[in-house]
Amino acid sequence: MSKLQDWKKDRGEAPGVTPVALHEHRILVANRGEIAMRIMRSCIKLGVAFTAVYTAEDAASGHVRLAREKGGEKGLFRVSSYHDANELMAVADEAGCTAVHPGYGFFAEDFRFARRVTKRDRKMIFIGPSWKIIRELGDKINTKRLARSLGVPTVPGSDRPIYDELEAERIAKSVFDFQEQQGIQRPLVLVKASAGGGGMGIEEVYDPDQFRSVYRRIRNYAMRQFKDEGVLIEQRITDFNHLEVQVISDRSGRNPVHFGTRNCSIQSTGLQKRVEIAPGFAPETLEYSFNAERVLTDIVDYSLTMARKVGYDNVGTWEWIVTRKGEPFLMEVNTRIQVENGVSACISRVHGREGVDLIAEQIRTGLGQPLGYTQEDIATEGVGIEYRLIAEDPDNNFTPWVGRIERFAWEEAPWLTMLTHVPCDAPYEIPTEFDPNLALAIIWGRDLHEAQARGLTFLNSLRLEGSNNAGEALKSNVGFLKANTGRILHF
Amino acid sequence: MDNNIAKRIQSLRDRLTYLQDIFAGKHADNANLLEERLAAFTERARWAQLDDPYADIASLEDLFAYVERRLEDCITPMDKVRIVRHPQRVCLRDILENVYDNFTEVGGQDEHSLDPGMLIARAVITRRSGKKSHTQSVMVIGQEKGHGAEFRNGGSVKPWGNAKALQYMRVAETEGIPIHAYIFTPGSYPIEDYPGAAQQIARNIYGMAGLRVPVVAVISEGGSGGAEAIGLADKRLMLSHGYYSVISPEGAAAIEGRIKEGERATPELIEHCAEHLRITAQDNLAFGYIDRIVQEPPLGARPWHFDFFRHLRQEVIRATDEVIISTRRMPLLKSIALSRRRKADANLDEMHMGWGLSASAKERLRERRQQKFLRLSRQAACDRRPFWTKTATAFCDWLAKPWRTFKYDFYRKHQRQMRSMMEEVSNEWDLFRNRLLSPWRRLSHKLPGRAENAQAQLELTALSAWSGDGRKSKWNYISPRFKIDRTLTCPNSASYGCLDLWGPDLFAEFAGVCSHCGYHFPMEPEWYVKNVFDVGSVFEFNSEIEAGNPLDFPDFSARVAEAQQKTGSKSGCMTFEARIDGIKMVVAMLMGTFRGGSVGAAEGYKFVEAAQRAAKKRYPFLAYVHGTAGIRIQEGTHGVIQMPRCTVAVRRYIESGGLYMVLYDTNSFAGPLASFLGCSPYQFAVRSSNIGFAGPGVIKETTGMDIPPKYHRSYRALSRGHIQGIWDRRQIRANLKQALLTIGGRNLYYR
Repeated sequence: MSKLQDWKKDRGEAPGVTPVALHEHRILVANRGEIAMRIMRSCIKLGVAFTAVYTAEDAASGHVRLAREKGGEKGLFRVSSYHDANELMAVADEAGCTAVHPGYGFFAEDFRFARRVTKRDRKMIFIGPSWKIIRELGDKINTKRLARSLGVPTVPGSDRPIYDELEAERIAKSVFDFQEQQGIQRPLVLVKASAGGGGMGIEEVYDPDQFRSVYRRIRNYAMRQFKDEGVLIEQRITDFNHLEVQVISDRSGRNPVHFGTRNCSIQSTGLQKRVEIAPGFAPETLEYSFNAERVLTDIVDYSLTMARKVGYDNVGTWEWIVTRKGEPFLMEVNTRIQVENGVSACISRVHGREGVDLIAEQIRTGLGQPLGYTQEDIATEGVGIEYRLIAEDPDNNFTPWVGRIERFAWEEAPWLTMLTHVPCDAPYEIPTEFDPNLALAIIWGRDLHEAQARGLTFLNSLRLEGSNNAGEALKSNVGFLKANTGRILHF
Repeated sequence: MDNNIAKRIQSLRDRLTYLQDIFAGKHADNANLLEERLAAFTERARWAQLDDPYADIASLEDLFAYVERRLEDCITPMDKVRIVRHPQRVCLRDILENVYDNFTEVGGQDEHSLDPGMLIARAVITRRSGKKSHTQSVMVIGQEKGHGAEFRNGGSVKPWGNAKALQYMRVAETEGIPIHAYIFTPGSYPIEDYPGAAQQIARNIYGMAGLRVPVVAVISEGGSGGAEAIGLADKRLMLSHGYYSVISPEGAAAIEGRIKEGERATPELIEHCAEHLRITAQDNLAFGYIDRIVQEPPLGARPWHFDFFRHLRQEVIRATDEVIISTRRMPLLKSIALSRRRKADANLDEMHMGWGLSASAKERLRERRQQKFLRLSRQAACDRRPFWTKTATAFCDWLAKPWRTFKYDFYRKHQRQMRSMMEEVSNEWDLFRNRLLSPWRRLSHKLPGRAENAQAQLELTALSAWSGDGRKSKWNYISPRFKIDRTLTCPNSASYGCLDLWGPDLFAEFAGVCSHCGYHFPMEPEWYVKNVFDVGSVFEFNSEIEAGNPLDFPDFSARVAEAQQKTGSKSGCMTFEARIDGIKMVVAMLMGTFRGGSVGAAEGYKFVEAAQRAAKKRYPFLAYVHGTAGIRIQEGTHGVIQMPRCTVAVRRYIESGGLYMVLYDTNSFAGPLASFLGCSPYQFAVRSSNIGFAGPGVIKETTGMDIPPKYHRSYRALSRGHIQGIWDRRQIRANLKQALLTIGGRNLYYR
């Protein structure tokens, strides 16, 4: 009960007051593109009013069109930047919004934004976990310590920023020794700035004698860049699969449920996901060198333990590393809805019914409604594959391709869900300001082989043509997706 | 017309214009009378209508003298200001030519000089004892106004002029000759160069606080920083028509009347300020900031007042002699010698005494000078400490002194030797033990089944001890402004494109720092007190010393009371003992919220007390400048005397082995910066602070030049060499600790 009261207090509501009915809410969709469209569709489904925003570059985007059609008066506002919280707040006040949905990216994991939304004079609901949870789990070190305190396995190494050179060397030495004892051929240690992020200030060390110079370099870099000398030292795991657990809970934070696992191991060279598959492994179809079923249940249990511990009160994803030996390590927690939520939704059945919409569930629980089902009511069926269609050059380091899309068509099928903000009936100029994601294709099959076959059918039927100002033809990752469809869920 | 008559008529004309100028329209009847009589005489003399022109002109001169004597009685302070600024006023060259027997100008000649405003000369004074004559050298240093010479810049000295003065003071110290400083300056030239004005003045004052030769200063026009740059003297004489003040009356009026750019203060207001700032020689003598007044002829000395120069010569010789005598150890002989020189009819030219000093006498001279300045201006601050507190403090000090001497001068020294010896012994023992045990170790490593694997796994996956808790707020104290629900615009947003910041984020989590460009919004002093130092370690002392209104400046008491009410502290300087991770220190904090952080008698008193406390306890001493606008002008000379006074305290502290550090935040300007803050060898600033001598408005007013933007930014101060580093506000604690550990020695006191 106290958790419930806490979050109500955060939102300025007196405890004990029943939440406002759904149709009295208005949600600010503080995002763009495909996710904005999905949020708006879910709102329409739930009967919640919404207000969308767009910038000048996005005027031709599908989400603008949808908002114009379905948003009604005060359904669409133009802003100068999606990053400007002040402007978003002004729009929310103008439109009379009662809640904000951040989508993914932009403000999704910004606890300051969440705090601001819930603590400003004119309070709103932040559709996402409460800001304290975002802050707690958004900090990787904190997450790691929390995990260790609950006995959840994490990557071996330090669990706090190291400021002392001697201590750093001692830890690095023990990480090297540990890997040697594990029989790893080329032990690697990762040195990273604890305040860093987005891949900045990370370096690998393969030679223990080299550690000191790398450590100093990273420390000085962190000092300059992040004003904090703290450094983390971890084992570098090279051969692994990337798994995720989809968790959702209502505002009481007491009964989190999971919607299965996902495997996101097929990534670009920049470690960006390209294909996501649910469930995480297919032990009934494929042979693994470890007990895959056991791993899946373990990571799900660990994730729910942590969610229960922190009183997690919305949608979130626990990201795991699974090594070739079948050891899971917690990597981080994403306190937001993810791009690939649809692939989990498509294999899930609540009370045996299809058509689960995780975003709708998120909005519904975020606005204060109880979840209404338990883990026993959730089942999974079949295999889902999600392809991210992106205009990029896989042969050239996945460089984004910019230009004009002239033709974008595919064959509809009952097992296919296509999510895109790119209009199919008109040419579309890819804006250079945002990430070049064009569409998400979610494919469902009864088993892995059927899903793979349907995926290839879809990719073969896809027509994606265009050219840029230099007259070069559009480059896309369709070929890459085709080539990788065969190896999905293989370790 | 006789040529002699013409000359005398001309000189009378000069006297008349002088009289008219200095009274600026007052006493017009007297001036008109003189003008009429002079015109009538000139008319008649031109046509040779006079029987005895010499007798007539003598009577006319008598009339002039009579009127001048009459008007002398009704001179106001503002008239004195006009007197010292008049082109006919005596200047340093006149004094050199008439007071000294011979001189050679060094460090430049006329306009061909590093700074023509600063004149330096080696001069000699010849004195006789019986039939023998003795020639004594002195170093004469002073500002030269010239008689309206443009290139002299009105005696406003640039930083390099002050550097030149300091250089020749050092020369005089090497040669062991006394220094005579003549102060004829309206103020220093407020330019930030290499070095900046404040920086150089601070060096000068710090240098003069330790000079080992007698220094005699003669003040004619003593304007604030420029005067202090050469004014820290054993004896300070003052010409009776001079003024000595913290700021020119016009400047005071501009500040008092809150004059905006382009406007001018009314003459009444200027007159009012001149009167209440108590800038005259008589006032300063009463306060004790000068030692003696040199009487000038009626309406001020001009170059033809040769008797004045004779008098001045006697006075400077007497002052120098007295300084020399004061270093003697025999009290009886000392008083006899002093009384001989103080007799009214004593002719100092006939009394010879050497001006050289022995090494121990030089030490005593220095000590006397420092003590003299430390004693000044105590009466100007209201010390509200209860009697028993003061007694108890004094008693505790008396008790603790032998203990501290034992601890620092004896025990620590030997402890250090002991420790280094023990380290060597233990190192040798380790080596020996390893040799002894190595065969066994080699054997045991090869044994199978060593449970190191599990141990390593445990070590790498178990929780390590960590005191930092990420969930708690980083700050112990949060500015009350964090409650405002509105956004603030960063001043740099135009150039760096910073997004507006939400108040609760900015003032709580970001510590008032723009998250995009690092601009520092000003924070309250409490923020620093509670966040920089260990929780609960701050112990304030001397909080009962109150800022007051020593000059009874009109309406000022109410304003001080208002500031006290607003900030809840009694003066603009908070002195406390505090710790950073257990490192103890004494801190004097100038608070920008209390009347702009201006320094008056109470602030100076507390600063000096804090420095002395740090020296006594062997703690590092930190001057934390939350903000200072300069010397508090409403306290007049009580304020300006804090510059040499606090610098003396700082110098004594540093020379006793202490570590004195200064940290600037927000805006730090003028007097304090040009003395006790600017003289520290270790000065740091947080970003976005402004450091300089005078603000843009004052520079525009005094020099007529438009300063470039960001003229006073801390980065500029860094490139001028004024400060040693720029810190981020969020890093102050860590940087301060690191600086203390690296700059301070083993016990953070003795370097």
